[in-house]
Amino acid sequence: MSTLEIKNLHKEYVDAYTGETVTAVGDVSFSVDRGEFVSILGPSGCGKTTVLNVVAGFDKLTSGSVEVGGKPVTAPSPERGVVFQSFALFPWKTVLGNVAFGLRMRGVPRREREPVARQYLELVGLEGFERKFPHELSGGMQQRLGVARVLANEPEVMLMDEPFASVDAQTRRKLQEDLTDIFQAKRPTVFFVTHDVDEAVFLSDRVVVLSSRPSTVAEIVTVPLERPRNWRSVLENPDFRHTVTHLTDLLAGGRAHGEEQAERLSGRVDSSSEPPVRADAGGES
Amino acid sequence: MALTSPAGRRGGKLSRRLSAALWFLLPFVLLAAVWVVIVEVTEVEMRIFPQITDVAGAFGELWSSGELFTHVGASLRRVVLGVIAAILTGIPFGILLGSSRWVAAFFAPLLRFSVALAGIAWIPLATLWLGYGERAVIFIVWNAMFFALAYNTMLGVQRIPTQLLRAARSMGTPRARMFTEVLLPGALPNIVTGLRVGLGYGWRGLVAAEIIAASAGVGYSIFLAQKFFRTDVIIAFMIVIGVLWLITDRAVLAPLERRTVERWGMKAVTA
Repeated sequence: MSTLEIKNLHKEYVDAYTGETVTAVGDVSFSVDRGEFVSILGPSGCGKTTVLNVVAGFDKLTSGSVEVGGKPVTAPSPERGVVFQSFALFPWKTVLGNVAFGLRMRGVPRREREPVARQYLELVGLEGFERKFPHELSGGMQQRLGVARVLANEPEVMLMDEPFASVDAQTRRKLQEDLTDIFQAKRPTVFFVTHDVDEAVFLSDRVVVLSSRPSTVAEIVTVPLERPRNWRSVLENPDFRHTVTHLTDLLAGGRAHGEEQAERLSGRVDSSSEPPVRADAGGES
Repeated sequence: MALTSPAGRRGGKLSRRLSAALWFLLPFVLLAAVWVVIVEVTEVEMRIFPQITDVAGAFGELWSSGELFTHVGASLRRVVLGVIAAILTGIPFGILLGSSRWVAAFFAPLLRFSVALAGIAWIPLATLWLGYGERAVIFIVWNAMFFALAYNTMLGVQRIPTQLLRAARSMGTPRARMFTEVLLPGALPNIVTGLRVGLGYGWRGLVAAEIIAASAGVGYSIFLAQKFFRTDVIIAFMIVIGVLWLITDRAVLAPLERRTVERWGMKAVTA
């Protein structure tokens, strides 16, 4: 039933400068079901983008297995379309040309690919911009085009690598709402990489939390929110706040420094009767 | 005054173009004025430097005798053939270099070395191999342009963001089609730069090669005129060469750039 199945993914690479072997991904296993939205969340440098790159077929894994639709991943494929942080649109193609690109590469004739392309442009709210070039669009519109370009191929799974990290905060909120709407309408299978806790909770059915390097799965958290979702109601929802707090704690626990700090703080709260700092103890009473 | 008048600024496309053309011509007009005055004041002999009216006279002569068209025609034919050869070889070679880090690492030093030697320095060998004549001159034009074009194309391919290549691959682009679908258009800003630089080298190579290895053409004409102290003819042909270069740039390269890289918002930062 699961569309994407990752088992004991382990990835090492040799640092080009130091010559040392670096473990980018320690041991990661999880799966994404058909029509499910799963985010992978972790501190920066924890290897979450590496996981995505392996799934996309851009990077080779060292050991373990990654299967999509029951077939092991060996190379990039339109079955695993990627939405990039940098948009990665083709500047020399019009908006329509960008959306129709994948269909054209697979030999779909013009007469058939144009209506499909237009349908996906309409889905992301870009109708009327067919003849524009990407640089003539705003950042938000460019990323909508990035999403439409992938969905037009009807992939087994859509991979999204921090897709909204390079747009301004207001646009990001709007894009997140648009993405849940699109998800609601089309029910694609989505694997989403982010470091933004709110974003992960708002968008996902489940959130995979990675520990810092060498990364392992700290916990897989199910998001108890109904769909359809919008920011206004989600922000007022106690379940949302509770999940966000839980994930934030998990992330803080994953860092050595954060752990210390958390212990010190909790120590103060729990044992307020005996002051933890010696200087105080000597001075008073 | 008229150039910056409100009418000129508010006016349509035509008047804006007219004012741009006037600004373009202004330095040449000033240069011509200085020329007239200096030759007039110093009373320099024509065998050293001609007066502007002498050059105009020589030009008229060349025009009415048809010599101008014979020589310009011969030169243009060589430039066109050499440039076509350079485009057909330099761009694919540059893309090949750009798409493999190892091939690039191997050839890049050689290429940079060759850019300095391109064209003129090859004339002795070219005439040894191909004899004095058409083929040697075309070889020099090709050679002068090839390295600059290949080198810039390589840079252009290397500057295509990795994510763009990955996007194309993950949308099912077959390896063979990456060439035309991504590498060529992606490298185009630098290819245009390579064409500009290369055409400049090509013209210079042409003039030099014609001096040595041809019996017609603008370079040959300049050299022949020198033997008869015809500075007026020399200057007339020098102006012709400059104008031909400007026309190639304005009529071919600029429109190409406008329709592609400028339209796509990816104009290269020219060094």
